[in-house]
Amino acid sequence: MDDPNRPLTDPDLSDEDVLDAMRHIPGYLDITVEDFRILYRLARNHALTRTFAHVRAGQLMRSGIVPVRPGDRLDQAARTMANQCLKSIPVIDDQGCVMGMLTESDYLRRLGAEGFLELMLRLILDPVGLRQCCHEMPVNTAMTAPATTVPEVADFSGIVAAFRRCHGRSLPVVDRGGQLKGLLMRKAFVAACHLGPWEETAP
Amino acid sequence: MSLRKYFRKMRGSTHGSPPRVSHSEILWSWIGSFIGISSVAWVSMGFFQGTDLTLMIGSYGASAVLAYGAVRSPLAQPRNLVGGHIVSALIGVACYKLLPGVPWLAQAGAVSTAIAMMHATRTLHPPGGATALIAVIGSEEIHRMGWLYVLVPATLGPLILLAVALLVNNIPATRRYPEIWF
Repeated sequence: MDDPNRPLTDPDLSDEDVLDAMRHIPGYLDITVEDFRILYRLARNHALTRTFAHVRAGQLMRSGIVPVRPGDRLDQAARTMANQCLKSIPVIDDQGCVMGMLTESDYLRRLGAEGFLELMLRLILDPVGLRQCCHEMPVNTAMTAPATTVPEVADFSGIVAAFRRCHGRSLPVVDRGGQLKGLLMRKAFVAACHLGPWEETAP
Repeated sequence: MSLRKYFRKMRGSTHGSPPRVSHSEILWSWIGSFIGISSVAWVSMGFFQGTDLTLMIGSYGASAVLAYGAVRSPLAQPRNLVGGHIVSALIGVACYKLLPGVPWLAQAGAVSTAIAMMHATRTLHPPGGATALIAVIGSEEIHRMGWLYVLVPATLGPLILLAVALLVNNIPATRRYPEIWF
């Protein structure tokens, strides 16, 4: 069975794959299958490095994010998130270092709901109880900690590795001291990479 | 490297042989090599018969394989086709002249040094090894040519093969020659 964690950019080229490709190119190709594989890997790595050389987390991040504190109440944190149109928000300590991330999923889990429909029903049935719950609970009881962060200087592969680790839609970007500098949105990263469909080129 | 690893390398790395080329490729390889070699033979007979010079040497057969049968190969490109023969001829004649009393050393030295020099000058062309060897083991006619062997046949012959390769290899839509000049 295929490894689901294997990167799409690193397909395992079998001998048959290469030989089949060679059949599509007219004329005798003076190259062995193994040499082609080595060339392909080196050229692909070089192309990726060149193509994404400009991609840095610090350049793509959204700065000016107002974070929340671990002692903030959940309703207060929700207001902060909504004001910034965020689905997740970094939680920082007194030194400005990222302690965790508070996401919409964290809210649902902490409020005992499987999804937003269930939360809405609870809101209809018991609005006072829900409001009280949100008003009393501090952020640190609901947040996901520790958070996966990405350094400002992280390049393409560093960002990809970070997103693969956390599966979130956004990553807190930190400086060398671990202090929050901004939030890197997955959609902003994908847009910067210009990832499009494969285009077939004639030999 | 362990002994086991050393012998394991002899098993090869690929399962399945390279694909056979199309019928069209086979035909154009035949046409190109036929015209190429016959052109060299025609020039040789027309201009050098009766002189001390000869234009046709065995290594052109191998050059024809590359120039008309494997046109995409880096070894078949103009720099290699012409440069490989010239460099090898220089080495071959030098070895013959410098080591007249030790033929085995002259022969081995000519081929191995030609390969090294072709590598160093980025003109590797397998038939060049034969051109260097012919300069040492060739007939009296070849030996009498001395350094002229570098010009005729080692430069003129490949130039004729190159001209034919340019004219013939670019006729079919699926072929292009050269991939790179220098």
